[in-house]
Amino acid sequence: MALYEGIALIQEKQAVVLDLGSEYTKFGFTGEAAPRCIIRSQFWCSTERRFKKVYEYSTPEELYDNLVNMLHLLYFRHVLVNPKERKVVVVESLLTPTLFRETLAKVLFTHYEVSGAVWADSPRMCAMTLGAPVTLVVSLGAREAEVAAVVHSCVVLRAVQAQPLGAAAVRAELLHLLRQDCGSDLHLPDHVLEDITVKTCFVSPRARALRWQSDSPPEPARGVRYPLARLGAVCVSGRARELAAEPLFRRDNELASLPDIVLQCIMQCPIDVRRALAANVLLTGGAASLPGLRARLSQELAHLCTLPPYSSRLRLGEFKFHRAPAHDMSCAWLGGALCGAGEAGGGAGGGRLLSRDVYCRERRLRDWVNLLDNTPPHHPQRDHLDLTL
Amino acid sequence: MAYLTQPDYVRYICTCGQLKPITSLYFCRHCLKIRCGFCICHEVDSHYCPNCLENMPSSEARLKKNRCSSCFDCPSCYHTLSTRASLVQPRQQEGAGDGKVENKHQKKMYYLACFNCRWTSRDVGIPDQPVASGGWPERPNPFATQINQLLEYYKAIALQEKQEKIEKERKKFAIRGKYLTLTDKTGLTGAMARNIAGLPSSDSGSSSIIAKFVPSQASAEVEELPEDYFTKEVNLNQITSMPQRLLSPEWQPTDVSRLHPIAKLLSVKRSQRCRECDHNLTKPEYNPGSIKFKIELLAFYHIPEVKIISYEPMKAGENSTVLLKLSNPTAHEMTLCLMNPEDIPQVDNEEEQLESSLEKSLTLDKESAPCKPAAAPAWRRTAAPCVRAVGPPVRVAVPQRDDAAEYDDDATHDANDVIVWRKANKLGVRLQVATEAGAARGGAALLALALQYSYRNTVPPAANAPNQRNHILYTTALLSLGNVA
Repeated sequence: MALYEGIALIQEKQAVVLDLGSEYTKFGFTGEAAPRCIIRSQFWCSTERRFKKVYEYSTPEELYDNLVNMLHLLYFRHVLVNPKERKVVVVESLLTPTLFRETLAKVLFTHYEVSGAVWADSPRMCAMTLGAPVTLVVSLGAREAEVAAVVHSCVVLRAVQAQPLGAAAVRAELLHLLRQDCGSDLHLPDHVLEDITVKTCFVSPRARALRWQSDSPPEPARGVRYPLARLGAVCVSGRARELAAEPLFRRDNELASLPDIVLQCIMQCPIDVRRALAANVLLTGGAASLPGLRARLSQELAHLCTLPPYSSRLRLGEFKFHRAPAHDMSCAWLGGALCGAGEAGGGAGGGRLLSRDVYCRERRLRDWVNLLDNTPPHHPQRDHLDLTL
Repeated sequence: MAYLTQPDYVRYICTCGQLKPITSLYFCRHCLKIRCGFCICHEVDSHYCPNCLENMPSSEARLKKNRCSSCFDCPSCYHTLSTRASLVQPRQQEGAGDGKVENKHQKKMYYLACFNCRWTSRDVGIPDQPVASGGWPERPNPFATQINQLLEYYKAIALQEKQEKIEKERKKFAIRGKYLTLTDKTGLTGAMARNIAGLPSSDSGSSSIIAKFVPSQASAEVEELPEDYFTKEVNLNQITSMPQRLLSPEWQPTDVSRLHPIAKLLSVKRSQRCRECDHNLTKPEYNPGSIKFKIELLAFYHIPEVKIISYEPMKAGENSTVLLKLSNPTAHEMTLCLMNPEDIPQVDNEEEQLESSLEKSLTLDKESAPCKPAAAPAWRRTAAPCVRAVGPPVRVAVPQRDDAAEYDDDATHDANDVIVWRKANKLGVRLQVATEAGAARGGAALLALALQYSYRNTVPPAANAPNQRNHILYTTALLSLGNVA
């Protein structure tokens, strides 16, 4: 028995892990410590003669073409393997649109003829990189900040929080601040703004941020002259460097700032895991690499706990932060690689794997929002739902 | 060469519905259909390094993570690095030996340098190497041990789950053999027997890994910004940009001083395969330096080519004349007929469908495999042709390609009101077209032209197949004739 398994393991092709982010795509093999490539989610569109982003689509057909082109680029330019008869682990956000999921499945199974695919949600994958039983995953992506509680590798779905507080929000604020300094006709392309953010911006501690709002602002950090390709240079003031990330922490009546959604997520979780969640926070995602962000979030959380909506309902103790064994950007990918090594790679626990013939029969994916998938088997409504199967 | 730089004036409709210029189409000789990059199966054929053009077997490429062992890219500007040699004198005892002896001891040491941005491997403190190629230090992943631990842990869990599942199955269908075993007689199970004997349980391997696993520890202390962060000058040249970081996904250095040379990523030669009949459409030669193909079934060599010579401006509701050049790339004479797309007979299709359904029922696994990736009339979405050919279908015979014909001076002059001129395997044709009355002014004038052509199949037929060599095939081309005036 063991011998045959060994042979099967050798013959089994190493599965690939795909994390198609809205800004960057992470792609590599299961069981490896880092993705083989992290590239922008865009491809050269020869008919439009420009780089086109995967997420730029208005019709399902356009999305299908985008995904075909993007996967071709990934498979044949970067990872250099045959997609046919190879398994795929797709790491995705819980809030991925159904159209995108279904189209990706169609592209993988019909166009590239992969033999099987595992759809894995990113909060669970991030938690897998730690091995801790209870984790609060705060992921700051390119567009959105998502907070999800993972309790014994189950996501507490009713407590998932999301707000448009990703890298895009920081970039928009930076452009706003730069316009205040250099005149309102300043136009900077997205990749320049990204570069300025990455090279110069930081998040100041809470005490300092409060002084910025008061009448006596602190001495700003040093300004930077950022050279531009054609227009000379733009002066990035210390104020812009420091305040660019403030929208993440700006509170209004809707209580939609980053620390607020973290606390709301904890508040909506079962009462017995709340303390554990607060003691196991994992901050990931590309935007989480901003210097000082972790410290600031910790200070803000400690402060907000003492304020009205939370002070009466939460007794959390100390907030503790994890460090994932990967760079912030590829944390979810690493989880997928670990998960795939257990499931898709070794062939064990194949229950979660959607194989090609099953997909060809049913033509749909399981989804947590779908009543077909989330109704318990003995529920009285169940019989009415099974019509399609 | 005009094909590469010009916009595509003439586009053919592929069998899958995509619009492509003739240069990016394939022709499957076995199903006699046009294929394009979208509806064929791409395969990795061989790995090679694009810099040193060295072949690498795929198993070795997998081991080396698809990286060349001797070529490197600059981590700063992504240009290829060059190896530079320098003479160094080994450190000597003071006053020992004279000049000649020193010369003998001179040793060549090598370092990597970028001729584009002047980055060198010495900048970041990589020691020079005594050999010219290879031998550069490899950096381990900073998280390797942690990740290996996690991998082992999850594999152990997967194994345990599997064993539990097998155990459950076994309990469900307990097949009792003819013979009583010791455990049956005594009512002992294997696990209990082991337990009583004081032996470790059989699956100790995985469970001990699970027991020993230490999950990541959270800490309340988070690194604050250093005190001098607010007063320090920012040197943009010392901080890496995002592309520089992402070039080495394992380390993602933030500091320029931590950039390391990046081993060159290999490239692949691809072979293409028809999805329906699994025959190769192209297969490159193994040698990376060669740009030739072993198999090359390009549409350019098999289907008649249409080029636009000139045309009158298209006016809505009026007739105009188009001059076209038709050429026959095959080695057999071809009869060509230009007509409107709706005149293509549909009878052939049904027969083929019948045939293919028979084929499908023979190979069961194929049945579940949907081969056609996209909806057929995809080209209708993007372009609605508003110009059509009028008058009786133009029927001409085009001679075969003959390389010697170039040297003949006397072109046959059988010019009439349809054929303008004739030369070797090409001829000029005058075509009457009509623009729809409702065509919008300024809109693109697209002419949909169906081509019926005779094709001599040169594939040696299979033993049991009917020996049919001459076929009548159809294809449709979309010609863009400027804008409607």
